[in-house]
Amino acid sequence: MTAGVPTEFIAPGPQSFDTPPIIDGVDWFTKPVLVAALSVVVIVWFFWGASRKAAVVPSKLQFAGELGYNFVRNSIARDAIGSQEHMKYVPYLCGLFFFILLNNVAATVPLIQFPTFSHIGWAYVAAIMSWVIYNAVGIRKHGAWGYFKHQTMPAGVPAWLMPLMIPIEFISNILVRPVSLSLRLFANMFAGHILLLVFVLGGEYMVFEAGSIALAGVGILTFLMGFAIAGLELFVQCIQAYIFVVLTAQYIGSAIAEDH
Amino acid sequence: MSEHQDPKPSPANSGDGWRVLSYLIGGVLVYGGIGFGLDRLFGTQFLLPVGIVLGAGLTILMLHFRYGSRS
Repeated sequence: MTAGVPTEFIAPGPQSFDTPPIIDGVDWFTKPVLVAALSVVVIVWFFWGASRKAAVVPSKLQFAGELGYNFVRNSIARDAIGSQEHMKYVPYLCGLFFFILLNNVAATVPLIQFPTFSHIGWAYVAAIMSWVIYNAVGIRKHGAWGYFKHQTMPAGVPAWLMPLMIPIEFISNILVRPVSLSLRLFANMFAGHILLLVFVLGGEYMVFEAGSIALAGVGILTFLMGFAIAGLELFVQCIQAYIFVVLTAQYIGSAIAEDH
Repeated sequence: MSEHQDPKPSPANSGDGWRVLSYLIGGVLVYGGIGFGLDRLFGTQFLLPVGIVLGAGLTILMLHFRYGSRS
């Protein structure tokens, strides 16, 4: 049955996300920091290159840059915030979108293969930033008390139900929103990465180390399935970046709306 | 270009599902939390589930008023 001596399979788990410092002694400089820094370099290079020699007849790079920018401006910011006020928030939304997108897609890029947002701290910070911004613009627009009323009075609910509804509206707007924003991004990246690890490491183990012909056949299938999962993950990575920014834009939109 | 005939959901309402989800979580959290607190206060056991169901029901009622009258 067994040709070689089977070694024990160590299943990937949360410990797979422990990233040791890249340089000894510099504790903060880990893989997520490197990936995030790289993504910033790529974004700056891309948009700088796209806008440096802006012409009426665009170059390929300018065309790609304008496509990305227009996508965020028109189909996210303008549709969610409204054509009156959306331009103020486009820089933040655009930067946020491409930062999350590149850091997510880094999970699929060969040799990097690590999603920054699978470390929850990154997701928390992104969500807190959006939370501070939509609350700040809401308070600036309506005043502190006006914004508080705005965020606790659900529209369209009859007056006798109001006392029961106010805590729900308050908790869901102030507490659940940022938590769900960060957890959704983190959990998708974490789960996707661990799923890939299971398929790829499991396949590798069954082919090379389990020491059984039948298992080796299954291992090859598992490995191939890993590629399909990687394709699915690429889709999820893009969707999560989109969802995060659409919801941020919507929260800003509903914070500055006259009546929601 | 005609926006009123566009059958695709726009970002203006494509996030509604997620917002509804956050309402549902919020409702369960608030009234489940109240039930949990009352349970601790009175030493009973049945108020947490009652609170969770009540919160979910109230949230659905609220969603009915909030989103139900559209379209």
